[in-house]
Amino acid sequence: MLKYIIQRIIAAFCTFVVVVVVVFFVLHFMPGEILDLSPKIDRSVRELIMAKYHLNEPLIVQFGYTMRDYLRLDFGYSLKVRPGVPVMNVVLERLPVTIQLNYFSAIVILPFGMIFGILMAVKKDTIFDHISSTIVILLISVPSFVLAALMQYILGFKLEWFPLILEAEPHLTWTKFYSMIMPILALSFGGIASIARTLRAEMAEVLTMDFMMLAKAKGLTYRQTLLRHALRNSCVPLASTFLYLFLGVLSSSLVIEQIFGVPGLSKTMMAAINGHDHWLTMGIVIFYCFIGLFMAILADLSYGVVDPRIRMGGKKDE
Amino acid sequence: MEREKILEVRDLTVNFHTYAGIVQAVRGVSFDLYKGETLAIVGESGSGKSVTVKSLMGLLGGTARVEKGTAMYQGQNLLALDEKGWEKIRSREIAMIFQDPLSSLNPIMKIGRQIEEIFTILHKTSRAEAKKRSLELMRAVGIPEPEKRYNQYPFHFSGGMRQRIVIAIALASNPKIMICDEPTTALDVTIQAQVLSLLGEMQRNHDLSTIFITHDLGVVAHVADRVAVMYAGKIVEYGTAEDIFYDPRHPYTWSLMASMPDMDLESGEALVALQGTPPNMLVPPEGDAFAERNPWALKLDFDRQPPMFKISDTHYAATWLLHPSAPKMQRPAALERRIQKSIARKEARANG
Ligand SMILES: Nc1ncnc2c1ncn2[C@@H]1O[C@H](COP(=O)(O)OP(=O)(O)O)[C@@H](O)[C@H]1O
Ligand SMILES: [Mg+2]
Repeated sequence: MLKYIIQRIIAAFCTFVVVVVVVFFVLHFMPGEILDLSPKIDRSVRELIMAKYHLNEPLIVQFGYTMRDYLRLDFGYSLKVRPGVPVMNVVLERLPVTIQLNYFSAIVILPFGMIFGILMAVKKDTIFDHISSTIVILLISVPSFVLAALMQYILGFKLEWFPLILEAEPHLTWTKFYSMIMPILALSFGGIASIARTLRAEMAEVLTMDFMMLAKAKGLTYRQTLLRHALRNSCVPLASTFLYLFLGVLSSSLVIEQIFGVPGLSKTMMAAINGHDHWLTMGIVIFYCFIGLFMAILADLSYGVVDPRIRMGGKKDE
Repeated sequence: MEREKILEVRDLTVNFHTYAGIVQAVRGVSFDLYKGETLAIVGESGSGKSVTVKSLMGLLGGTARVEKGTAMYQGQNLLALDEKGWEKIRSREIAMIFQDPLSSLNPIMKIGRQIEEIFTILHKTSRAEAKKRSLELMRAVGIPEPEKRYNQYPFHFSGGMRQRIVIAIALASNPKIMICDEPTTALDVTIQAQVLSLLGEMQRNHDLSTIFITHDLGVVAHVADRVAVMYAGKIVEYGTAEDIFYDPRHPYTWSLMASMPDMDLESGEALVALQGTPPNMLVPPEGDAFAERNPWALKLDFDRQPPMFKISDTHYAATWLLHPSAPKMQRPAALERRIQKSIARKEARANG
């Protein structure tokens, strides 16, 4: 198990390095100057900045400096979006807004996805199952931003049930939460659908297994066999599905935040890319990449947490 | 001595309603289970043994339907029970041991918990009490170091050890009837013998009445008081173990006995091994289902199903050979010799 974890971490680290390298060069090959040539900036100041960021040196040398800084966990400063503010601070400042949206949708996804999944598995091959399965396929295949735009148009604009964009209040008040409902829902539907689908498939299979027959023969009620045996066994792949899903939510929220005007990381990242604020862009990309790889490792490990056969490496002592 | 009947099954008929059509898995099965006795149900795979006993515990799946029949237990007809009613019967009155111990335990639940939940959930005892009684059971079924084993998972256990756990689970609620559905088929021969002797011991200690399913007549000889031979969803011969082993009347029973491995053959003698396969139960034959494979089949066998003929008060068989006007057929010579030998052995034993 330990060996497996170490392998995973090494693989994740390699992925991480590749992503950083690719993003660095893609950003620097983009047309446009890092410092614009507006005459407002004093020539001496320009020189100073150029020297500090080694902008006069060849790209490969700049890359070397940047990597050296990263190894020291120094992510540099924002140049244009928030001039002079350390990238780390910008990310940490914007993060809560994004995270808030994401964890609310995670909270919505898990129980609803599970309830629908269980119902579909238990009522497999009935009308209920057929209708829900169709809806599930629909929700999985339609991207969240399409749902978001539709909801914004119908529920927000036509029916006026919800505000069109997010309330700007800094604290989580009722009005703020109310304005968050639409983005949360838009982020959650796909997740609910894939959790429901995974659980339905897994549980329908578990329900036909021999040990479920023994559980019933033991005298447990139907509900008890479901909750004590079927559900837990169906959750083995669910944990990893959920973690990957959370990644999906994270990336969908980049677009959803734009649609609903959420002042989160997404907005900052767009500004950074458009303004050639490379250090900030890199910082945000590195952040997402780190979260992503971390979740992927967790997802792999989750099998072991739920399933003792994997955790204990399946060794028999007899 | 007339024994007390604990379970009386009459005309049990079970169909599966599948996409392909109606599978007639069990076609009018009747038998009695006497208190403290073991009834063996023998037959090839697919003959409807498992379906018969599953319908006695309400464990048939969604496509199965009990079309006809009664199963009287303590004055109530089990086959008329609803799910609530079954919950009171299962495990408390009738317990079951399944064929494959590798798949009948929950793979990701600790062994101890799987026994313990019967006490905590069904009998509402405290955790501590439940654990104490689970450990006692594990000890009783011969699990070494039960305290350590308690917290292990099924994959830590060998097949034989798992079957012991399944037996412990079956015994936990003190049932009156124990159904063993091929409990040793999936195990090695040496382990088989151990599990069989454990089952026998438990039956005596707990005063159980047992239905024992197997496709192996050799096993039946060791465990059964009474035997029902099943073929294509019907009981074709039914009697005490002595009736069946010393005076088998149905050609199917002859074939089963002939295919027992320790048959002593004289040189040049052909073994009357079974040819062919059981019929498709989607379209069961009009006449005797065994006629196709029966070397002794009469013309009548292909047209009409034989009724149960009574041979003695305990012994019945469904074959036209028993009809008064049927031609007299001899059992195959090798089988006859073998029967005589075992009768002689029995008498020698009885005489000292
Ligand atoms: N779920 C099912 N659906 C359709 N047919 C079934 C089902 N279960 C069993 N059968 C059929 O019922 C017959 C008896 O099966 P079973 O009782 O399992 O035989 P066995 O004597 O080997 O235990 C077989 O012909 C089998 O194909
Ligand atoms: Mg069977």
